Amino acid sequence: MKDIDGWKSVLTDQDRAKKYREYVTGWEKKIGSLLEWKLPEAGKIKSSEGILASVPFAVKDNIAVEGFKLTCGSKILEYVKAPYTATGVANLQKTGALVMGKANLDEFGMGSSTDNSALQKTNNPYDTSRVAGGSSGGSAAAVAAGIVPFALGTDTGGSVRQPAGFCGVYGLKPTYGVVSRYGLTAYASSLEVCGVCARTVDTTRTVFHAIRGMDGMDQTTIDYDPVSPEVKTVGVLKVEEGSLSEEVAASYRVSKDRLNKLGYAVKEIEIPAMEYVVPAYYTIATAEASANLARFNGMRYGLSPIFAESPDDLMRYSRNMGFGEEVKTRILLGTFVLRSGFQDQYYVRAQKIRTLIRQELDEIFTDCDVIMLPVFPTAPFHHGQSELTSFQQKQADVYTCLANMTGSPGLAVPSTLEKGLPVGVQFMAPPCGEERLFTVAEALEKEFPAPRPAGYSEEWRA
Amino acid sequence: MSDTMVNDKYETFVGLEIHIHLLTESKMFCGCKANYGDEPNTNVCPVCLGYPGVLPTVNQKAMKMGYTVARALNCRLSRKTYFERKNYFYPDMPKNYQISQFQEPVGVEGFMEFEYNDEIKKIRIHDVHLEEDAGKMIHAGDMSLQDFNRAGYPLLEIVTEPDLKSGEETEAFLRAFRRMVRYLGVCDGNMDEGSMKCDANISINTPGAGLGTKVELKNMNSPRFVRRGLQYEAQRQAKALDEGVKLIQETRLWNENRDITESMRTKEMANDYRYFPEPDMPPFCPDDSFMADVEKEQVELPLARKHKIMRKYGISSEQAEFIHDEKVNADYFEQVMALGADAQAVYTWLSSDVQKELNLLNMTLTESPLSPERFSELLKLMDDGKISGKIAKQVLIDVFEEDRDPSAIVEEKGLSQISDPQAIGAVIEKVMAANEEVVKAIREGEQKQKGFLVGQIMKETGGRAAPALVQKILSEKLR
Repeated sequence: MKDIDGWKSVLTDQDRAKKYREYVTGWEKKIGSLLEWKLPEAGKIKSSEGILASVPFAVKDNIAVEGFKLTCGSKILEYVKAPYTATGVANLQKTGALVMGKANLDEFGMGSSTDNSALQKTNNPYDTSRVAGGSSGGSAAAVAAGIVPFALGTDTGGSVRQPAGFCGVYGLKPTYGVVSRYGLTAYASSLEVCGVCARTVDTTRTVFHAIRGMDGMDQTTIDYDPVSPEVKTVGVLKVEEGSLSEEVAASYRVSKDRLNKLGYAVKEIEIPAMEYVVPAYYTIATAEASANLARFNGMRYGLSPIFAESPDDLMRYSRNMGFGEEVKTRILLGTFVLRSGFQDQYYVRAQKIRTLIRQELDEIFTDCDVIMLPVFPTAPFHHGQSELTSFQQKQADVYTCLANMTGSPGLAVPSTLEKGLPVGVQFMAPPCGEERLFTVAEALEKEFPAPRPAGYSEEWRA
Repeated sequence: MSDTMVNDKYETFVGLEIHIHLLTESKMFCGCKANYGDEPNTNVCPVCLGYPGVLPTVNQKAMKMGYTVARALNCRLSRKTYFERKNYFYPDMPKNYQISQFQEPVGVEGFMEFEYNDEIKKIRIHDVHLEEDAGKMIHAGDMSLQDFNRAGYPLLEIVTEPDLKSGEETEAFLRAFRRMVRYLGVCDGNMDEGSMKCDANISINTPGAGLGTKVELKNMNSPRFVRRGLQYEAQRQAKALDEGVKLIQETRLWNENRDITESMRTKEMANDYRYFPEPDMPPFCPDDSFMADVEKEQVELPLARKHKIMRKYGISSEQAEFIHDEKVNADYFEQVMALGADAQAVYTWLSSDVQKELNLLNMTLTESPLSPERFSELLKLMDDGKISGKIAKQVLIDVFEEDRDPSAIVEEKGLSQISDPQAIGAVIEKVMAANEEVVKAIREGEQKQKGFLVGQIMKETGGRAAPALVQKILSEKLR
C-alpha cells in the first residue's frame, strides 16, 4: 500500500479522527507549525473517489484558501480572510484532499528560519530550540512531525527546499510556470512557485501532478512537457573547502557515495557564475517585492489605524505598524535598486547575470541528466541570529536560489541525520525535468527514507 | 497678433497626453464589467481590488483596440509589446503600482493629420500605450470614501510630440482626435464624463530657440478648457519671461472657476516611477491574424471622409463639417444619397428639421424611425410635387411619432397636394365669396391684402393646395 493511502481514513473513521486530533494538538504545543487548523467532523466529509480522497494537508499561509485566513505571517494581514482559493489548492481539492490548516512562515516568505513570522514561533520537530528553516518552515515541520502527509509551500529562493532539508522531508520546487501562482501572495513574481513538502517521493510526485496545469488566471503558466525521466549521469557540484559546516560536508559525501553505489556516472561540475547568484537574486527579489507589497496599505483590507488625518497618513501608519523589520528592509532595498538612474547598475545587470547563469546550467545539462548540490551550508540552527546573522542567512541561499534564477526544478532529499538533526541534499534538473528528480530520489529513498523525530507516530493511520 | 505667437514675441509648444477609456465589456486585467457609473463597488473582484495572490490577465479586446488606434495614427506597431509596473502610492490605486507600458508600447512614432484654419496640420505621435485606471475617491465631510468600479478600467494613452502651436489649435486637434476615436468605435470621447482626458505640456520661447521650460497642465475637462488653460498659461509664461522671471518645471492645475492655472507640484516633488517589466504577464506578440484583424478595424478616417463627401456630392466645407462629424451621420448621408437625392436638400433637412426632432426626442439618427429609405421617400414625395414643403415637415414629425413610412402617412391622412386647377378654383371662389370686402379692397389696389386670401385658401385645404397654382388662379380671378 502507498504511504498516502494510509491517510484516507484518518478523518472519516471516528476513532482514528479522535486520535489524530490529539496527535496534532500534542505536536502543535511543541512545534507551532500551524497558524490555524480545523478538522472536519467525521460525518461531514463528502465521500470522494479522488486519488487523495479525504487526505488532510496543510497550506502555507501565503496561499489563499477560502474559509481560512491569509495572514502571510504578517501583522498587516493578521485578520484577513481569503476571498477565493488558489488554483494549486483547488486542483488538489478536486482529487478529494482536504485542507486542515494553514502553516506558519517567515513574513511574506522572507527568511530562512520562520523566525520572521510576526504571529507565531515554529520549532524544529527534532530539537525545539532550533528553527524549522524557512520560509515554509510550518509546512516542513508539520510533515516531519507526521501531522500531515504533505503540505504546500512556496519557493522563491529555497523556501520549500531549505526547511524540507532542515526537517528531514522531501521538498520540491517545480519548474517555473508549471504550477499556477494564482492565489500565491506575491513576493518575487518572476522567481517563485508553489511547491510541495512531503514524507515520501511517491507522495511528492502525486501532489506535484495534482497541482500543476495551465491556468487561465496565470498567464505565466506553461504546458508541462516532460523531458526523459532517465538518469544516468549525475553532476555533483564541487564545493569549496570550508563553505559547508562539518556536518553538512560529511552528509554531502555520504550522498555522493550513495550515487556511486547505485551505479550512477558521477561527474564533478563547477558553476563559475555561482558567486554572483546571491547578489543578483536579492536585487531582483527585492525589486519585485517593493512593488508587490505596495498594495498592503490598510485601505481595502488589513491592519489600519482607527483614525488618520489623511489617506496618506493612513497608509503610512498601516505599513509602519504592519510590516516587520525584514520586510521593511527588503522593500527599501528593492526601492533603492529600481530608482531612476540606477537601474542599469542594479536591476538590468542582475537580469544579465540571470541569463549568464541560465546559459552555464544549460551547458551543464548537455552532459548531466541531473545535478547534485547542497541545500544549505549548515544543519538547523538555533532560534535567533546568534549562529547566522540575517545577512549570513541570505548568503547561505546560494545553493537554492540558483534554481529560482534559472526556473529549473529542484528537490531537497533527506540525506542523513547528523548529531540527531536532519541534513538534506539537493538535486536539480533542466526545466520540466521533475521526473528525473523523482527517479534519483526514489533510488536514494531506498537507502535512506525520511527519518522520524522522537514522538512521531502512525498508530491512528490504517 | 499672429495666432501662433504669444504677444508677437514667443513661440508656443504644446504636447498632449490624451487618455481614453476603451469601450470594452470587461476591465483591462480581470473579468469585471467595465461600467464605472454603477452602484459603488459593485463591479469589483479580488483582482481589481488588489487582493493578495491575484494576477492580471490581459483583455484581448483592449489589446486589439490599442493596436487599432496606433495603426490609425500611423504608428510603427510593436511585434513584441509588454507591460511594466509604474510605481507610486495613491490611495485609490489598489496595487499602488499601475500596470502600464513604457519601453515597448503598442505603437510609436506615428502622426495625425487634422484641419485647422483650412489648412491640413500634421502632429507627430510619440507613442500609444495601454494601461489601467485607478478607482475614485469621494470626500464627504471629514470622511473619504472609495469606489473601485473604475479601478482596472482599460485606458489607452496617446502621447503627442510638442507640435501644437496654440490653445486654439490644440482645441481643434482635440475635437478632431475625439472624432477619430469615435469613428474607430473605441471610445465615446466624452470629456465631461471623463471617458476622455487630456493633460497638456506647454512651453514658450523666443522664435528659433527651441522648447522652453515645460509646464504640465492638468484638470481641463473639455476641449474649451484645454484651450483656455493653454491661453492663460502662455500669457502667464510670457509675462514671466518679459519680467525676467525664470520659469520652473512644474505641474499646474486649471481652475475652471477662477480661469487661472495654479501650481500643484514642482519637479523636485515628482515621483520616481521605478518602471520595471511586469513579471506577471509574458510579452504580447501579435500574430499575422491579429494584425489582419487590426487592419479590418480600420475605417475611412474623418478628414478623408470629409474631403471625399465634399468632392463626391459637391457640398461646401462647412456643410461637410456637419455631415462628417459623426461617422453614423456620414454613413447615413451617403446611404440617402445612394437612394437618389439632392445633396443640398439632404443637408438642409438633416441640419435643421431632422436635427430638431432628434434633439427633442433625445435620439441619434441611427436609432430614430427615420431610416435612410423613409428619408429618401419623403424627399421624393416633395420632389414629385405630391406634398408641399410645409406638409413634408408635418409628415417628418409623424414619421418620428408613428414609426411609419411617409407615403403611408400621406395616403392615410389625405395629405397629398391638391394640384387640380378646378378644385383649387372652387375653393378660391368660395373664399372670395366669403370675403367680399377684402376682394373689393384688392381690386382697388390694396395688393397687400392678397396674402390674407391665400392664407384663407390654405386653411380651407388644410395646407394641401399647391401654392404656385393658388397664386396663379387667384391672380386670374381677382383681375
